[in-house]
Amino acid sequence: MSRSWVEAILAAGVVPASYVPDASVGRTDLEEFTGADPVEDAELRVHPLAEARPLAPAAVGFLDGIEQWRVVGYAGVTPIVRAYVAAAIRLRGADRRPRTIAEDADELAITRLDRLPDAVRAALEGTGVRIVEIAADDAGQPARALPAARAEVQGARAALERRLAERRLSSLGSEHWLVVDGVLSDSPALSVHPRALGVVKSHGAEYFAGPELERALTLPAAHRTSVFRPKRRGARREIYSWYLRLWPWEGNDLLYGLLRVEARAHADTVALASRVSAWLVSERAPLATPDRRWDRLLYPIHDVETYLRARAPRDLIPYPASRLPRTGS
Amino acid sequence: MIDRRDPPPIGRVVATEQKPATPHQFHFWTANETSIGIGAIVRVEGAGNREQGAGRVVYGVVTDGFAYSDLATPLHDVVGAEGDPAKAADSPTVRQEIRLWTAAVLRQKPEEPLQPVPLREVHVASDVDVAQPLRMDAYLGGAQPTAIPVGLYTSGGLEAPVYLDADFLLGPEAAHLNISGVSGLATKTSAVEFLLGSIFQHFPIHKGRIAAVCFNVKGPDLCFLDQPGALEDEDRRRYERLAVRAQPFERVRYYAPFKADGVNLNTLRTHPELVGDVEPLVWGLREVLDYAEVLLNRDDIDAKADAFIDFLSDRVVDKEFDDGFGGTHRVVTFADLERLFRSIFDGLELAARGDTWRTHHIATIRKVRNRLSNISTRCKGLVTDDGPSNDLPWGRFEDRAVYVVDVANVDPLGQDLVFARAVSKLREHLERRDLGVEAVVVFVDELNKYAPGDGPETYVKKMLLDISERGRYLGLVLFGAEQFRSQVHRRVVGNAGTTVFGRMDSDELATPGYQVLSPATKIKLATLPIGELMVRHPHFTQPIFVRFPRPAVLRGRDGVERFPPAADLPFDDAVVRQLVKLDRRVRPNLVKDLIADRREEDVRRALAHTRQARSQDALAHFTKQLGGRVAAAPALQRESVPPLTPISDEPY
Repeated sequence: MSRSWVEAILAAGVVPASYVPDASVGRTDLEEFTGADPVEDAELRVHPLAEARPLAPAAVGFLDGIEQWRVVGYAGVTPIVRAYVAAAIRLRGADRRPRTIAEDADELAITRLDRLPDAVRAALEGTGVRIVEIAADDAGQPARALPAARAEVQGARAALERRLAERRLSSLGSEHWLVVDGVLSDSPALSVHPRALGVVKSHGAEYFAGPELERALTLPAAHRTSVFRPKRRGARREIYSWYLRLWPWEGNDLLYGLLRVEARAHADTVALASRVSAWLVSERAPLATPDRRWDRLLYPIHDVETYLRARAPRDLIPYPASRLPRTGS
Repeated sequence: MIDRRDPPPIGRVVATEQKPATPHQFHFWTANETSIGIGAIVRVEGAGNREQGAGRVVYGVVTDGFAYSDLATPLHDVVGAEGDPAKAADSPTVRQEIRLWTAAVLRQKPEEPLQPVPLREVHVASDVDVAQPLRMDAYLGGAQPTAIPVGLYTSGGLEAPVYLDADFLLGPEAAHLNISGVSGLATKTSAVEFLLGSIFQHFPIHKGRIAAVCFNVKGPDLCFLDQPGALEDEDRRRYERLAVRAQPFERVRYYAPFKADGVNLNTLRTHPELVGDVEPLVWGLREVLDYAEVLLNRDDIDAKADAFIDFLSDRVVDKEFDDGFGGTHRVVTFADLERLFRSIFDGLELAARGDTWRTHHIATIRKVRNRLSNISTRCKGLVTDDGPSNDLPWGRFEDRAVYVVDVANVDPLGQDLVFARAVSKLREHLERRDLGVEAVVVFVDELNKYAPGDGPETYVKKMLLDISERGRYLGLVLFGAEQFRSQVHRRVVGNAGTTVFGRMDSDELATPGYQVLSPATKIKLATLPIGELMVRHPHFTQPIFVRFPRPAVLRGRDGVERFPPAADLPFDDAVVRQLVKLDRRVRPNLVKDLIADRREEDVRRALAHTRQARSQDALAHFTKQLGGRVAAAPALQRESVPPLTPISDEPY
């Protein structure tokens, strides 16, 4: 696939373009107040982890995905976006070295077909590339079309991750855990699995207010909050969740080193919350540097991302700087 | 076990802007657990026709290795482990690591056009492959193969014989071998012994006959080349793999000068079972005078003295010579020469003819006399005042024979004389093609001493330079060994077509001569195990590491344990032993009676004549040479003359 379909539409009259959006920030949580119900304690409390014995699964799979996209041409003012999404699970066993056990990737063209000239549309459809359409309302102005394309890319990546996880869940051993980069509540299968964890690094969603919010966001290092149940939003499944601080935030930022963990809504989750938290704290080493999110990014997740980026098409990655000589202006 | 199947790829070539692949070097990565290491030979070859560079095969040798993780800075490891090194090992995940290797290109096929190494799969070279990168295919096969096994290339369970090209080791294309390494661990002597054995067994028939002259310069190193040494199974397997028979040298001739007593041999091969085949090395005036330059101090001997020595050599020695005072001389020995000198001095004094004789000033004559007589004193045992000489068998060298000249315990001046004369004679005979063999390997250890890079221009150094620069045309090949290659004369080491390195001293490796080696190769050289060498040969574009089996001969130190040197014999017993060696029928008691009360110099002279004559009846010849006993006349008792007056008590 790769560039062949791009060359086909360029041959059909599309004006070539090269717009690479800012790097993906990953899937973000909802940015609104949703609220939560207490599960473990009547109100949100802080639990130290010093005495907790870390859970030590025999093997852990880590799931992450990447997305890359760029505008490759314009038919009139309608952008045609080339997107690449990929996801992988890398299993870490007794030798502590992650190895890929499942991966999937997809390439797609994102545009609005009915806005394309017939020749271009025919050329695009003739290439066999999977086409995803943006809404008709978003297709008119690039200022709306590109965010819409971005949303489609993110959706495609999330779907790919979900499919991969659900496909792999059935073959997960009884001692194997699966750690997902992001929320669990997207997936019916993941959200009920006893050994699946979601690790959320972004904190757009507001579950608490007042003193409870303060307690959550000023959590000391190596402490967790009580387990709570986020209120259901839309199609999201019921899960349990808690905050966990990996690194001291003092001197940095309130969200520094702060994770939100998701697990199935079950009494066992509450029973294991401290042990799971202690395990995740131990995942601080090795540091996931040089990623800027290293304070919240678990190294095995970083490893999956590195793996996927190494295998992604090279022509979708922008050069860090122009390789052309500087001009006088 | 040799796997002849095409092995699976072990790595892949990578190239970046900072570390690109070039026609002479490339980089590749492997799994963390890999069988290759520094010195391994690899092959780069694409899997399919559609890959770039398809059809091109590149062979390389690994020269450096790198391992690193995705750790951005060591500080991050400290932070992750919270400052506790013990915790660092507890991290649940091991960081991603890489094993990145640098390889130097040995050969590309096709060789033209020469292009950068394609970014493709890397395979471990199989034993079949090894001949290609080392360009051994050119001399392994064909109508007249010239391959000499030098050792086994081993890497990752693969093993392949490595051959040197006789045309480039022993001439005429290139020649000479130089081996460097620290004492005791570099196994320089063992390597040369093994290689000589290999040469003797594989020297191509079409190249003629070959012999070796080895100078034993320290201890018992080369004193037992004809005795079998202890081998292990692994050694025997290596011999078999190299197609070299594990056996000591079949023909070894030992030469050693006498000690100062003139009858006991100055060697450690004096055990009764072995001493019988040690020939004495004895030189007289003729042999010494030709190499006076070696022995005489240049500060003492000026042009005038030189001219007088030349006069003696050309006009006097071995000729009927009229001294101008009525005496006729035939100067053959130092004793004859001394008689001539005395005659000259007496003649000048009596005739009052001033202070010049045949245009030579008397002071010059006295100076030369002093220096020459000093030689026989300093080199006593090697240089005889009187009697015939006993030398190497010039003109009768045998094919595949080793001539060991033991000068380990000889005065340095004598060693110089032995080197200079032996090598010069070899050269003369090889030039005339009448040595008996077409090629001679001369093994000289301690080149740091005999051909140093700095210091005075000695005759020995000039001679070694001459072999290095012109020997290959004659079939005179120098195998030199030393500890510090950087301190040997540049032209001696530079002319060595083949260079071998055993374990090297780190300080030596830091000298500029080793800049072409990668740091990893230097480290490997500094830690090279016994029995492993790095070889450079004109056909190899990069140095290759090989392992060789222990030589099948008795090592010097084992030899002196198994065959302890005999204590010096009393004069009469030593004479008996030498005569018995010449003729087993000789009865010791008869000899002892015969030489009782004889002057030792007379006995030595008779013995030397007998040795030279090789008579059927050694005792009869010896008796004749010794001459009749002249009975000592009893001292006449003088009649005392009585004093004129009786002795009184008066004291005055």
